[in-house]
Amino acid sequence: MSQRKSIDARGAFCPGPLMELIAMLKLVEIGDEIEVLSTDKGTAMDVPEWIAKVGHEMVGVEDKGDHWSVVVKKAK
Amino acid sequence: MSNTPLFILICSPEHEKIQMAAMIASVAAVSETPVHVFVSMGAIYAFQKGIPDKARYIGGAFSDVLKARKAPDAMVLFGQGKELGEMTVHACSMALDVLDWQEDDLVDGLFDGAMGLTKYLSDAENGQLITL
Repeated sequence: MSQRKSIDARGAFCPGPLMELIAMLKLVEIGDEIEVLSTDKGTAMDVPEWIAKVGHEMVGVEDKGDHWSVVVKKAK
Repeated sequence: MSNTPLFILICSPEHEKIQMAAMIASVAAVSETPVHVFVSMGAIYAFQKGIPDKARYIGGAFSDVLKARKAPDAMVLFGQGKELGEMTVHACSMALDVLDWQEDDLVDGLFDGAMGLTKYLSDAENGQLITL
């Protein structure tokens, strides 16, 4: 059964949130989702770009006001 | 299909340039681009083992901002690139020689050995070279 994990990367600067996401992607199962919380504006653009390049799946990007929520699914 | 390899030659001892090199190297490596880093000239001082951050990262006004805002540490970023992607890091054999340093004098776990410039440039003919 798929799970959703969360990374609170608020306060971390580029490329910290992306690197934390990639490290966790190595640990979870295919089909699992990871939500990254980030105050780094670049994360909302960089993560979808990286996901498209390496072949995972974007679930969504949401502006929460004082931070971004970026959710991805491990696809391979 | 593999991406074109990226060769990053770091010469400058400036914190800002070493930080940029670490960011490019780590992000490219985890984006399925093979990365080959070569550290020479004054940049080698930043990779010395066992020195405090104050001595490791010397730069201008932006360096002060990077430190104050606790931007990701450049040595940690290089390490993450190696761990999560395909990255090699070599020290310039000439730089080690003139300083009378051994590979043991460099940050643990980061280097794949020493290399000559001729070999590095020969390898780089098959990729894209960035010099900082």
